[in-house]
Amino acid sequence: MPSRAPSLVYRLVVGLVAASVVLSAAAAVALDALMQRRAIEARHEVLVAQVIALIATAELEAPDELRPGNIAEARLSTPGSGLYAEIRAADGRVVWRSPSALGSGLELAARPLPGARAFERVRLPDGTRVLGLSLGVSWETGSGPAGVFYISAAESLEPHYDDLARVRLWLLAGAALLMTALALGLVFGLRLGLRPLRRLEHEIAEVEAGRRNVLGGGWPRELTGVTGNLNALLDGERARQARYRTTLGNLAHSLKTPLAALKTIVAGSGEEVRGAFDPQLERMRDIVDHQLRRAVLGGAGSTVASVAIGPLLGELVAALRKVYADKAIAFELDVPADLAYPMDPGDLMELAGNLLDNACKYGRRGVRLVARPVASAEWRRPGLSIVIDDDGPGISETDRDRVLQRGVRVDESVAGQGIGLAAAREVVAAYGGSLLISGSPLGGARLSVDLPGR
Amino acid sequence: MRALVIEDEPVLLENLVARLRASGFVVDSAADGVEGEYLGSEYPVDVAIVDLGLPGKPGLEVIRAWRRAGRAFPILILTARDRWQEKVEALQAGADDYVTKPFQFEEISARLQALLRRAGGWSQPVLSAGKVELDPRSQQVRVNGSAVELTAFEYRLLEYLMLHAGQVVSKAELTEKLYEQDFERDSNVIEVFVGRLRKKLDPDGSVQPIETLRGRGYRLARD
Repeated sequence: MPSRAPSLVYRLVVGLVAASVVLSAAAAVALDALMQRRAIEARHEVLVAQVIALIATAELEAPDELRPGNIAEARLSTPGSGLYAEIRAADGRVVWRSPSALGSGLELAARPLPGARAFERVRLPDGTRVLGLSLGVSWETGSGPAGVFYISAAESLEPHYDDLARVRLWLLAGAALLMTALALGLVFGLRLGLRPLRRLEHEIAEVEAGRRNVLGGGWPRELTGVTGNLNALLDGERARQARYRTTLGNLAHSLKTPLAALKTIVAGSGEEVRGAFDPQLERMRDIVDHQLRRAVLGGAGSTVASVAIGPLLGELVAALRKVYADKAIAFELDVPADLAYPMDPGDLMELAGNLLDNACKYGRRGVRLVARPVASAEWRRPGLSIVIDDDGPGISETDRDRVLQRGVRVDESVAGQGIGLAAAREVVAAYGGSLLISGSPLGGARLSVDLPGR
Repeated sequence: MRALVIEDEPVLLENLVARLRASGFVVDSAADGVEGEYLGSEYPVDVAIVDLGLPGKPGLEVIRAWRRAGRAFPILILTARDRWQEKVEALQAGADDYVTKPFQFEEISARLQALLRRAGGWSQPVLSAGKVELDPRSQQVRVNGSAVELTAFEYRLLEYLMLHAGQVVSKAELTEKLYEQDFERDSNVIEVFVGRLRKKLDPDGSVQPIETLRGRGYRLARD
């Protein structure tokens, strides 16, 4: 069995869910980065304010000894508060440090040019991440420049990282919820959206099974093109077949009527003329019959639609009952009610007609037909088996191959064209099937037809 | 027996008509569907031979029209289209049997005999009423097992009575079915022929197979 391509719904769901996962994840990552940046920027402003407050109150107490005045910010006085400040001299020596920084192990390294500022991230010995801001200041007193100082403020980022982690958790939960909702919505929407396609699939299967001739109406705009064209194709196929058959029927009529006239004329003339003409006329008849039969033969692939076997055989048997009214043949038809096979109805009529006609011709009282579907793992649509039995004299093993040849009749005394079995074999061959002759339990011949599935 | 032949091929038509007449039929003929349908609707036809490919009106429609109008005589179709689909269609339309072209006249004759026999309610090929036996295939008549020589007209008369055995057949019906032309019709002649037939079938008057119903006609007892 060939591996089947994934269904449309599967493809769409997988594709769209993957896309939405990637998009949601990207959005979450971007949002997270943005929030981090916003949080850090907010810290910048706090640090700048602290540094400015330090500068505003700072006074030079001795050369190289710059100190802030009263410190308004309580956190700077509280050890472990997470907010630190210090003043370094031009050589990097710390000249003042806030009480909060005592014992913290804070070491800032940035030395920006006077008037410039520098942010830096450092880690305290206990692992605390800290953001520092240093401002270079060229200090001047009334008596002139007093040298360069670096005034710094620093703040632990840990509380903000904790906040961010909490926010990130919410973000992830939200994204997951969004993705789930999106996926569910997609599946539901696709099922709804693809419902017409499912209906189309169903109706095409019904056409194949012979339960409907054309597709119904009421299709969404996007499908009307396809369904309209399919219907046109189905109609066209039928109309073309019908036209073709009519033309060939007319051709048969116009070829065989003069043949019949010739035969009549020859029949009325002398023995010598008859002997010369009759075989030629017979040959012409055979050729015309054979070629016309081949021309109308549809064969496998000529139709997508199935023919319902039971009703067609019913019609055929009703017709044969009329023809063989004298024999009062008991027909036994064993066909499942829903049995169908993808075949041109004319071809099936030709096949079953010739076989049943043969059975009626040679049978005495009883003709039995059994039709069954044949399942196989290789076929999506089952094959067809038809077995026809009669209670006549049967066909001897030596004759079995011969009667399937064109124009051969075993018993010349029984009326008929003698081409029935050959014609049946041609139909079977056109569908890639087999026709076997054997002995019947009814005493006569058994003809077994096997047609492959698809 | 009155047969109607509808066939557009002149050679075939002429030959069929001639051979049917030779085998004792009174024959009406038409070369197109419209005239053929009219003849079948208006004339007292016993059996019709209809070609399916007719000008004017297709054979199938002619047959359907007759059946719709309640015409019940047996119909044998001639067809060049030997597909089963077409045969089944023709039989469904109301035909009783078919012969495919080209054909031998003997085939048509045999089918006609069988159709007429069946229409008369006979299921065996040999018709038998009392001690009289008639074999349409060989046109042989036997009484008590010994052959009786009949003239062509006597044979036709007996065949008609036997195919309608058990029914009352009027003299008018017999003239219609046994004479080709109107001017030949004379019911006295029928009486004469029935008299001769009685003598030949029953020389000593012991069997009396043909009953006379005064003012109504004749009846041949079925058994």
